[in-house]
Amino acid sequence: MVALCLGAAPFISAVPQGFASDLDGKPFDPFRAAQGKVVVLIFVRTDCPVSNRYAPAIQQLSAKNAGKAVFFLIYPSKRETADSIRKHDREFGYRLAALRDPQHILVKESQAQITPEAAVFDANRRLVYHGRIDNLYEDFGHARKSATTHELADAIEAAIAGKKLTANATPAVGCYISDLE
Amino acid sequence: MTVVPQKVTRTRTFLSLAGIVLLAALSGRVLAQQNAAAPTAAPPPQVTFNRDVAPILYRSCARCHRPGEAGPFSLLTYPDAKSHARQIAALTKSRFMPPWLPAEGALKFADELRLSEDEITRIQAWVEQGTAEGNPADLPPKPSVVEGWQLGKPDVIVTATKPYALPASGSDNYWNFVFRTPVDRSRWLKAMEIRPGDKRLVHHANVLVDRQQNGRRLESEPGAGFGGMELTIESEAFDPDSHFLFWKPGSIPYAEPDGMALRLGKDTDLILNTHLQPSGKPETIQPTLGLYFTDKPATKHPILLQLENDRLLDIPPGEKHFVVTDEFTLPVDVDLLAIYPHAHYLGKDLQAIAKFPDGRSETLIHIPDWNLNWQAVYRYSQPVKLAKGTAISMKFVYDNSDDNVRNPNSPPQRVAAGNRAVDEMAHLWLQVLPASAADAKTDPRAEILEAMTRHNLQKNPEDFEAHYNLAALLMRRGEVEKAIAQFAEANRIRPNEPTVNNAYGAALLATGQTEESIPHLTAALNERPDYFDARYNLGNALASLGDFRGALAQFQAAVRINPEDANAEANLGSAFAEIGDTKQARLHYLRALQLNPNHELAKENLQQLSGNPSPH
Repeated sequence: MVALCLGAAPFISAVPQGFASDLDGKPFDPFRAAQGKVVVLIFVRTDCPVSNRYAPAIQQLSAKNAGKAVFFLIYPSKRETADSIRKHDREFGYRLAALRDPQHILVKESQAQITPEAAVFDANRRLVYHGRIDNLYEDFGHARKSATTHELADAIEAAIAGKKLTANATPAVGCYISDLE
Repeated sequence: MTVVPQKVTRTRTFLSLAGIVLLAALSGRVLAQQNAAAPTAAPPPQVTFNRDVAPILYRSCARCHRPGEAGPFSLLTYPDAKSHARQIAALTKSRFMPPWLPAEGALKFADELRLSEDEITRIQAWVEQGTAEGNPADLPPKPSVVEGWQLGKPDVIVTATKPYALPASGSDNYWNFVFRTPVDRSRWLKAMEIRPGDKRLVHHANVLVDRQQNGRRLESEPGAGFGGMELTIESEAFDPDSHFLFWKPGSIPYAEPDGMALRLGKDTDLILNTHLQPSGKPETIQPTLGLYFTDKPATKHPILLQLENDRLLDIPPGEKHFVVTDEFTLPVDVDLLAIYPHAHYLGKDLQAIAKFPDGRSETLIHIPDWNLNWQAVYRYSQPVKLAKGTAISMKFVYDNSDDNVRNPNSPPQRVAAGNRAVDEMAHLWLQVLPASAADAKTDPRAEILEAMTRHNLQKNPEDFEAHYNLAALLMRRGEVEKAIAQFAEANRIRPNEPTVNNAYGAALLATGQTEESIPHLTAALNERPDYFDARYNLGNALASLGDFRGALAQFQAAVRINPEDANAEANLGSAFAEIGDTKQARLHYLRALQLNPNHELAKENLQQLSGNPSPH
């Protein structure tokens, strides 16, 4: 059972100063909640059309890895409120735990720069992959009909199996997280 | 006794119109954090939002980036702009935004959205210097926004009968909505506002004028709409669909100048062809059209010229530079009003050039990095004069390799012409207004269309539409024998096409080849039993051969299909008279006169029946 309702889970000391929080405003540590499983953080933004278009794919990928990897949606924007995030997640059919990260604690730990961007941590909280979900978008306005490489799915599979990845970072295409500040 | 009046049926031309495209999502690509390019011009000491950036955003971005419009976020205030500053800098620098495909050229288009180098440099400097807000006194007034219908309240508002449910995920989606007879009599349409529904989902939309209700036949049930990227619309000759009715994000509805209104008949359907992109959640789309009429009928008749060479489209997998060309020489002087290049996802570099009779040449449009998602109709800021003898040429380059990320096939496949998104097209449409000399004996549109069809037959002697259209033009000129030869070719290529069989039969009938006409008229009816014109023509053919009972049956069927046609009623009366049923004959003559009190033959025949020979 994923402990999403831990309430005031104390953040652990390895996290830099500050903390991410759940939608009730309580500090929340996804690594602690994952209890040693692989952790997948997906950085998104409610007004980013690229990350929104990925919603069905993200939901499917988390269902496929249920029990082995724990997914969290991370909203890094200060401007996005818990209510607007709840509404957004409902509309897009997300059933994942959503966290706010206005202080960019998880952003920094994941080296994330874009929404949507994924970060995969192994059972030892080691960042094994960060970057795009797949290659649907090659660049601004250069979208494929469908993706031909699936970096995030490959990274999750490797992390679960404890294998080493050949590439642990690929640039993502989307909206700049740095713009949020 | 009486001569049965013969009516040569209306003939039709086939215009295949490309409707098409789009989707593009706003995306950014992270490269490195530092901005490599130094500004080329020295920026002012401190670039501020209020003084330097807001005027650019208001003029070139706010049309879409404001609430309710297509942009995914607003760019009306300093916090808005600051929150997206790096995105703005990156996307304007790469010229992905604002979306404007044509390269800068000598000819100017209306509503050009291209940013100048200086504007791009200013935005880069603003972001590099820390996105300062500046002095509030420098901030220009917000762009004025017209709420609601942009041209005032429309005369008629029509909404799609059924919404379309767009799935949450998947690739691009093309859906057509059929709007039914929005008028109860012929009206002149001077403007249309297309409200496609959620503007963030619809990348572009095209309205096609469907005078023969072709679209309805493609619906699974009335009002359901139908899928498909490209449509072929059958239209009457000499009333070609001459206007581009196109919507893209940021489009401002456009009123045609006086005399250039579009005729909208009682039975005209409007088909809205939309290109939709899934958003990540299920959506419903239910577009609305606002129609604006004028009392001023059309006196100027622009037409759409099409250059194309789909037949040459056979692109091997991996081919990076596949070239398709076409060239057409204008038979009359024209004003070029607008241009619409069209290819699918393999198109790379699209260009059109005019070579003038004096040897000069001018680029009409050049799109160096084609993106179907941002396709548009481009209207010239001033009409471009093209003299008789000007050669218009198109050169489209295609990339069917893996380097083209938009390639719908991975790995690349051989691609030929077709209507699906995975097929290709090589089309260039031009809206031209032919100059008509005061003493012109011929309609210049007919001259252009004839030159066009002959050009098409040169490219492809098996071009069905060209044979048919040439035949229709020749019929119109009264050159029936030549028309018959062209109908025969069209009929050879597509033996079952009812429109051709009917027109071919009618032409044979008109030249006294009655027996030869009957198999064609019959074939038309086998294919389309409710085809009024073919019933009527077959009735006439049988009557000419003395088979009045056979004729009677055809006219009865014709009157059932269209009870409002005085000619069919009059001929039905004559058929009854021929078999000796004067009571029925009288009834139908009277009905014909009810429908048209001036129907001479009905009058005459009625008098004959009454034993009062006409004075004629």
